[in-house]
Amino acid sequence: MAANALTGASISMRPLLSQLNQTPACSLISGSSSVLASSFGKRNVSFSLRSRSIRLTVSCAAKQETVDKVCAIVKKQLALPDDSTVNGESKFSALGADSLDTVEIVMGLEEEFGISVEEDSAQSITTVQEAADLIEEIIQKKC
Amino acid sequence: MSSLLDKARLMMNIHCLGRNLVTASSSLHCVQLPAQKEAHFWYVLPDEIKDTNLLNQYFEILSPSEKESVFRMTGELLKKRAILARALVRTTLARYQINCQIDPKALKFKKNRYGKPEVDLQYTEDWKLPQLRFNISHTSSLIACGVTVGSPIGIDVEEKQRRLKNDVLAFARRYFSPDEIEMLTKIADPELRRLELIKLWTLKEAYVKAVGKGFSNLPFNTFTFQFGNRLKTGIHLRPHVMSKAHEITVEPPDDSKNISGNWQFVLLELYGSHYAAICIEQESTNRGKGSIPVNLMLRKTIPFVEDECIFGTDKAVVIGGLTTLLEC
Repeated sequence: MAANALTGASISMRPLLSQLNQTPACSLISGSSSVLASSFGKRNVSFSLRSRSIRLTVSCAAKQETVDKVCAIVKKQLALPDDSTVNGESKFSALGADSLDTVEIVMGLEEEFGISVEEDSAQSITTVQEAADLIEEIIQKKC
Repeated sequence: MSSLLDKARLMMNIHCLGRNLVTASSSLHCVQLPAQKEAHFWYVLPDEIKDTNLLNQYFEILSPSEKESVFRMTGELLKKRAILARALVRTTLARYQINCQIDPKALKFKKNRYGKPEVDLQYTEDWKLPQLRFNISHTSSLIACGVTVGSPIGIDVEEKQRRLKNDVLAFARRYFSPDEIEMLTKIADPELRRLELIKLWTLKEAYVKAVGKGFSNLPFNTFTFQFGNRLKTGIHLRPHVMSKAHEITVEPPDDSKNISGNWQFVLLELYGSHYAAICIEQESTNRGKGSIPVNLMLRKTIPFVEDECIFGTDKAVVIGGLTTLLEC
């Protein structure tokens, strides 16, 4: 099994997390000396890194970070206290968002992430997680 | 307040005593169906309803899935709002059934292809049920239900005090049509501009909800609201600010997606604190002959307790659209 040096190889990595990522498309275990990437058509390719620090430019936002940002925007729009429970599963309507809140949230997300959301996509977002997933999808297309 | 409590307790006692003999709707005042070209607008003020027994009574008429939705709401206020909204729909529609014989709890609902809720009339063969159409809207301080027979209806209510988190013009640029952006830009006073934006928002919402095909099939920036002075036929003044002399029309009246219809609009101001927009479809035979006013009947209600006909009072003022307010 050839051990390819990471330098010179441009690999666009999906979210690099220090904890396990739930996305089936990408499972990374870092922090150890080998990195296993199962996406991008390369299956079970392992790179062994010997006491070398990796520097990867991750241009796509980490999933949890995206969710957290969406939560912050939602809390701000709905004027919820900082300690209120808003997470990925939170439904906008259950938090008290009406349609005007929802379009303002979409505007806030567009501004925060520098993206443009189509009307039919905007209509399909009902939870924080769905918003985060949509944002990642849009960003990914820009990557 | 204590008389409300007493009344509610009395109602509860009557129910408990006569549970087997009397359906819940017997304490609902029955009303005549809306005529053609007529819309009924019922509303509840959540702040007036504090009695937990009454709220429990409302909760009990909800379907299992509606009850689940209530539980999913975060916080007591949102739960209360959800209960009141569903109870308002069920009790309102139940009043129109022949001799008030339908239990509000027995009503079934379905969704159209695009997710718009409608009354499901198929569950019973015995009753000749009228073709009731409805739409609801809620703010924290007012929950409304509009009803017609036959005509699609959409309503939207907003608090006049509603502050946008975004700049008014930035919001308009993102969501409204070019003509509307221009109209808003011409309003110098920021407060007046904000109020006009809210009026436009409620009209747009009511329209999309009436059409019933969802936000993405009728994006807000693809149609423009115009206010014309019908006294000067053929000359549309294009004023910047709406007034009650104005007929409200939407351009284009139909679009490439075959949303053709003769849509009519009413804009109300309630208690000086809320805007309410109502959109119904008139018969297309009227098109080109000038608009016929929408006949509108307004009622404030505390279901099972009391109803109040809102007529000839400044609690409700028509601020746009050709409308005739009816006495109940």
